[in-house]
Amino acid sequence: MNPISELIQYLVSSLSLGGLYALMALGLVIVYGILRLVNFAYGELVMVAGYGLLLFGESPLPFIIVAILSVIAAIIAGVAMERVAFRPVRNSNAMTMLITSFAVSTLLQSIALLAISPRPRAPNLPSIFVESLTLGSLQVKIVDLIGIVAGVLALVSLTVFLRRTVIGLALRAAADDFTMTRLLGVPANRVISAAFAISGMMAGIVAIFWIGRTGQTYPTVGLQPVLIAFIASVLGGMESLKGAVLGGYVLGFLTIGLQTWLPQGVNNYRDAVMFGIVILVLLIQPQGLIRPSYSREVR
Amino acid sequence: MTLLAVDDLVVRYGAIEALRGVSLHVDEGEIVGLIGANGAGKSTTMNSILGVVRPVRGTITYRGEPLLGKPPEAIIRKGIAPTMEGRRIFPSLTVEENLRLGAAIRSDRQQIQADIDRWCAFFPILGQRLQQPAGNLSGGQQQMLAVARALMSNPKLLLMDEPSLGLAPLLVAEVFRLITQLRDLGVTILLVEQNVRMTLEIADRAYLLNTGRVEFSGTPAEILQHADIEQAYLGGGKSSRPASAPMGAPLT
Amino acid sequence: MSAVATRREAPRRSLVNTLSTPVILIVGLVIIALISQWRADVVFDRVVTVLFINLLLAVGLQIFMGNSGLGSFGQYAFVTIGAYSSIWFSLTPAQKRMALPDMPKTWWLYEQHQPFLIALLIAVAIGGLFGALIGVPLVRLRGASFTIATFALLIVVNRVALQWAELTRGARTVLGIPKYTDLNVALIGAAIVIVIAFAFKESTIGLKLRASREDEDAAASIGINAAWGRWVAWTLSAAISALGGALWAHFIQQFSPHNFYLRETFLIVAMLVIGGAGSVSGAAIGAVLVALGQEELRQVENWINVERTANSVVGNLIPFEVRGFADIVLAIAIILVLVWRPSGITQGREITINTFRRLLPGGRRIPQGEADPVLGKTS
Repeated sequence: MNPISELIQYLVSSLSLGGLYALMALGLVIVYGILRLVNFAYGELVMVAGYGLLLFGESPLPFIIVAILSVIAAIIAGVAMERVAFRPVRNSNAMTMLITSFAVSTLLQSIALLAISPRPRAPNLPSIFVESLTLGSLQVKIVDLIGIVAGVLALVSLTVFLRRTVIGLALRAAADDFTMTRLLGVPANRVISAAFAISGMMAGIVAIFWIGRTGQTYPTVGLQPVLIAFIASVLGGMESLKGAVLGGYVLGFLTIGLQTWLPQGVNNYRDAVMFGIVILVLLIQPQGLIRPSYSREVR
Repeated sequence: MTLLAVDDLVVRYGAIEALRGVSLHVDEGEIVGLIGANGAGKSTTMNSILGVVRPVRGTITYRGEPLLGKPPEAIIRKGIAPTMEGRRIFPSLTVEENLRLGAAIRSDRQQIQADIDRWCAFFPILGQRLQQPAGNLSGGQQQMLAVARALMSNPKLLLMDEPSLGLAPLLVAEVFRLITQLRDLGVTILLVEQNVRMTLEIADRAYLLNTGRVEFSGTPAEILQHADIEQAYLGGGKSSRPASAPMGAPLT
Repeated sequence: MSAVATRREAPRRSLVNTLSTPVILIVGLVIIALISQWRADVVFDRVVTVLFINLLLAVGLQIFMGNSGLGSFGQYAFVTIGAYSSIWFSLTPAQKRMALPDMPKTWWLYEQHQPFLIALLIAVAIGGLFGALIGVPLVRLRGASFTIATFALLIVVNRVALQWAELTRGARTVLGIPKYTDLNVALIGAAIVIVIAFAFKESTIGLKLRASREDEDAAASIGINAAWGRWVAWTLSAAISALGGALWAHFIQQFSPHNFYLRETFLIVAMLVIGGAGSVSGAAIGAVLVALGQEELRQVENWINVERTANSVVGNLIPFEVRGFADIVLAIAIILVLVWRPSGITQGREITINTFRRLLPGGRRIPQGEADPVLGKTS
């Protein structure tokens, strides 16, 4: 294979994976920004959408409808999760909320284990997920191209939502100062529900492409995405949505790069190295790789 | 007509009693000052009115309607707007977005845009920096933004907590001039301030808080005649330190 | 707020009263051990031994979380280190050929063979040393950043253990470890750790650390260095976790890195939260309640599954094989506790002689503190 097609292939794979990672990180950060809650149960929203694909995929509906229904299922699960588990502990300290999310995560996994199956199940996926485009020596997976477009589309529409609507503005404002946002008359519950709905939507979109890649869904399917979201959002700075997107893309390029050019023996330690970097970033540059352009007052 | 009435308000932070039966009222069209040393309970009173702090006893009514127990967002929707201590603008949002969010409880789109233009004309510097992150503004500019943002909700009653805090002396004078201008525009103002001298210059009436109680209330002239005030708060007399500032009182 | 906290802990702090707590807790454990001996039931003996080891881990975690107020999800990193490092020293070279076939025979470690007690101590030393080193930078972090960092630490150690086959046999199960830990050994270990947790809590460092938990700036203003206290608590907690891992390894006799991951972390955290992280009694009571509750649920689960296979009336009522039911109940329990009683069952108080006095008729209950009036997050 010539170097140019190798480069194009690298770019396509990285952009596709990076977009996916960016969405994962966004879903985590949008909630963290407002509640200072690191939602471990975010991965289980991916799982819910995964089982949605499995369940709705049994029906004769076209895949696009199945996918939308699965995303809606994740949104509902996200909002319900907040209403049932997080709202009662919202005013507690960070540790209480963290442990609550850990418990919610375990609860949902166990329910899936009990009610569905511990074994991986394969949802009906359209053949588009495995087909490739061949252009000369260049071979590109169609799903990667769709992934790039879907990632960019999701990011653009989220940006428009956050900039143009009052609730979107309130979401961003609440990340700066939640109490003050309420003191402008914005209902706290509505803002938080919106954050969890967006989180669920991100998880749902992630699920389609994540499970599209592996072809399987199982009770712990959300673990890897949530771990990736952790890394990406710490890289970008837990409080910044822009940072989450950047962190996601950086991680995507890094992952594919390491996969392509590092020997297998070293690659086995990839996760260990990644999480080692997470600890280092937290220690050295807790605001993440990009700093805000203004100075934040310490309150 | 009485706009806001607070009666016998008691607030506790754990074992510490921050307010021990505060009563006050604000009539329409007034500037009412709430003065006192650090920890006297000024901010706690304001936070109670806003529903951020839950009192253990007392009543708060706005136009005869009880406010106590309502969440902040419901209280704001009744026509009360605060500017908080430390300004509390949203640094990562642009100036315009801050203003737009100030109008979060309104739905009249065109009128909102008209009001943004209006306050930008009133505060020209905000108009010039409309698209910049609010975190880039200077302290004085942020204070103007905080006031303009509060006004975007078309409030009947403006609660201002320490608007002069941390500003250069020249800007302080400007902020107080702004407050009288707002009153002339028909906004009623409850002004929480440590700057007693300036507050008494512009207020119609004032309440002097001391360790959680109203120590004295009346017109500025009456307060200035009150025995200790000169010595304790205006730096006159023998001691320049506020004698009655309690140790270990909660900072809210 | 710190003034309130001290006031709440103030009543009746006599020396006898304070010292009564570890005695009461250890007597409680001895009673459980005696019941187990009396029942002479192999399964129950196993349950109680694992319970004691988990209790040791929960109390070890309490030393850090209870005194510093920070959450750690990283304890199982040290359990992993403790488990593996203990077997490096307790196994004979011949046993290592079976258990750790990837370890080069030329290694110095390969030839090592020490008595169990020495192997335990070495494991504690390695775990403690690792904790001490990583703790130096780590204790500077606060809040959620700290917890994420400990979580990351768990994953790093887990992935290294999965890959470093020379030391761990990689993802495969290490087999054929001699059984040195029994009920009594676990009991002694748990008792020692309870005493250590108490000694730390009542020590000057522990006291200062708890003072700084509420307001680090205020504590710093009277000369308390919170980071130093956090580091000591963290290191102690790491060493104890390593001890727990070493004991468990020689009880269970076969394990892989998969045995030291999120589920296990969750179990220990749940024990601590349900009992109440603020007190050693809370950690101990939480461990007992969770362990016995889980065991009961597991038996119910088994019974249902047996009924199902037998196609009995009851069995046909349940449409699916019951599995992981105990975990569901545990997760719900922890959420309910956090919502209704956020400081756990013990509310951060210790069991003392006074506790029993108060249960007697005519006993006086100490009034509870005022609820926090602050409604919103006033960051």
